[in-house]
Amino acid sequence: MARLLVVDDESSIRLLYSQELADAGYDVVTAGSAAEAAALLEGSEFDLVVLDIKLKNESGLDLLQKIVKERHEMPVILCTAFSCYKDDFSAWLADGYVVKSSDLHELKEEIRKVLDKKSR
Amino acid sequence: MEFACCWTKKELAPEECPNIAEGEEELYSVHRRRVMEKCLDCPLFANDLLRFKESGHPLAEIFSIVVSEFLDQKSQLQSLGGFLSSKTREIKFLHELSLVLQTSVDLDEVLSVAMTAITAGKGFGMNRAFLLMTDKERQALRGYLGVGPRTMEEAWHIWEDVNRSNLTLRDMARLFQKNKLSSEKVKFNDILERLSVPLRDQQHVFNRALRERKPILVENAFSNPDIDPDLAQLLGVDSFLIMPLISRHRRIGLIIADNCITRKPITSQDLQSMETFAFPVAFALERAFLYERLQEEIDKLTVVNIKLKEQQELIVKMEKMALVGRITSSIAHSIRNPLMIIGGFARSLLKNMEQDDSKRDYLETIVHEAKQLEGVLEEVLTYSESLYPALDAWDINQLISGVRDDLAGHLARRGVTCMLELAPELPKVSIDYRQISYCIKTIITSALETATAEGEIVIRTWRDDGVVVVKISDNGTPLSPEMVETLTTPFMVTQNLGTGVGLPLCKTILEKHGSPFIIESSPEGGTHYIIRLPIKEEM
Repeated sequence: MARLLVVDDESSIRLLYSQELADAGYDVVTAGSAAEAAALLEGSEFDLVVLDIKLKNESGLDLLQKIVKERHEMPVILCTAFSCYKDDFSAWLADGYVVKSSDLHELKEEIRKVLDKKSR
Repeated sequence: MEFACCWTKKELAPEECPNIAEGEEELYSVHRRRVMEKCLDCPLFANDLLRFKESGHPLAEIFSIVVSEFLDQKSQLQSLGGFLSSKTREIKFLHELSLVLQTSVDLDEVLSVAMTAITAGKGFGMNRAFLLMTDKERQALRGYLGVGPRTMEEAWHIWEDVNRSNLTLRDMARLFQKNKLSSEKVKFNDILERLSVPLRDQQHVFNRALRERKPILVENAFSNPDIDPDLAQLLGVDSFLIMPLISRHRRIGLIIADNCITRKPITSQDLQSMETFAFPVAFALERAFLYERLQEEIDKLTVVNIKLKEQQELIVKMEKMALVGRITSSIAHSIRNPLMIIGGFARSLLKNMEQDDSKRDYLETIVHEAKQLEGVLEEVLTYSESLYPALDAWDINQLISGVRDDLAGHLARRGVTCMLELAPELPKVSIDYRQISYCIKTIITSALETATAEGEIVIRTWRDDGVVVVKISDNGTPLSPEMVETLTTPFMVTQNLGTGVGLPLCKTILEKHGSPFIIESSPEGGTHYIIRLPIKEEM
């Protein structure tokens, strides 16, 4: 079972993601801040990170850079309310980019594609 | 001694003096005036005087001298009076002329007045006049306008017209400007073209007149060593007058005048009168030329001002739109997260609910409405972002392939095929990648709406005159012109947001890329969507 780390500052979104992604057959751990996520990444193994860009007082893009630098094989999917970051070259470091939607179909598809690619 | 003249009588009967005309009847009784005005000129009196002289009276000699001297003085006074009244007429004419010239800033009016003054009988009465103007750019004197008759027949017509009318100079000039100026401008074209003289030709009589700043009366032109025989030939007259037009040291041009029809000699008197006339004409011409140039500059400035005003209004409008865009974007983003949570949980609950649960309808409504609102948000955000296109060089074929791949699932579900006929090695286009992707995606989605069961969409690209053309064609139900109008009318006004119709937004985006958005119904059925994207110029 693939292990996912979901990073989002909104507890409701963390709850929704946990529930939906668990239903899709993933082992989901959530973090509410970049610091919490960094600590979790230090302590245990994950197969993929789902990362929000706008975190309270922090930028998900900074965390992305840190992950790429320290654990360059860890795939990251950015999941954000802003489609404009797609043009931000620092977002290009991510393996996927999904605009937040109540329909999680696109996010689930993206996770599947990225994990497939990783396993190959 | 018996005298034949009636001077001896104090009073006369009408038949006694044959020299008293009608209207002079009071002379019959006023002896002194009759003697001075009539008797001294009467042949009978001259005869009486001769007889008196022959009588040997000592005063007779002296008396003859006094009478003769008186008659001389009288004749001189008369000619002086004639000269004075002709000068008065001339001064009155010059006054009228200068008044007209002073009050006119219209070049055609000044020309009409000047040329009428030279050629009209009440003016200088010359038969014909040519105006040459200094062309600074070409450094030459160039024939500008000729006035006067070309033939004797035409001359008679003109003079008859002039004699019939008793017009002022201004009225004559007005008539000339209205009826004749345009035709006179071309009438002498053949002569005017050949009258051009380079300013550097110092020996030429025209340049000499300008240099010496005084008129020249040319006589015996055909045999005159100072006159170019070609010029004499061209004018066809033996005698003509050259009048330089100089205003404040500036050589405006010159006037050539002659009596080509009547061959009347040009006198030094004519020369003198014309000299007085030259300065106001030169000054008025210069002023009219300057005024004309000023008017041109004002017209240019007016155009620039209008453009500037339009630009200012556009900037204000854009600033307003940008502000609206920023506010909209900020609101939309803050709504997105809660909306996603509501819709997401509703979906989640719905998924795990029994099929026959009575509350299922409520959840389905929440999911549907949340989806609808997300659609609205997406369009609002794309619209506010379309205000700032980030142009870069992109491969349009690669963009189209990418969009087709993204929509592959959607197309497959509708059973519609999407063929690509992309021209190889196209130059890159200058576009905002995301915005144009949105447009292509929206057009394909729109084509899907009208697609039939075995629908087919074909996307073609090719290069054409500075642009790359993208043509998306479907074989679905053709759109009516009214539909096309509605679909491309700015959506903020007539369309409901979130209905999935983003074509008006495509139009806005494409216009910002400098591309028209053409929607045509195909005669074979279906619709063509055509866009023309500018090629990125190589630096």
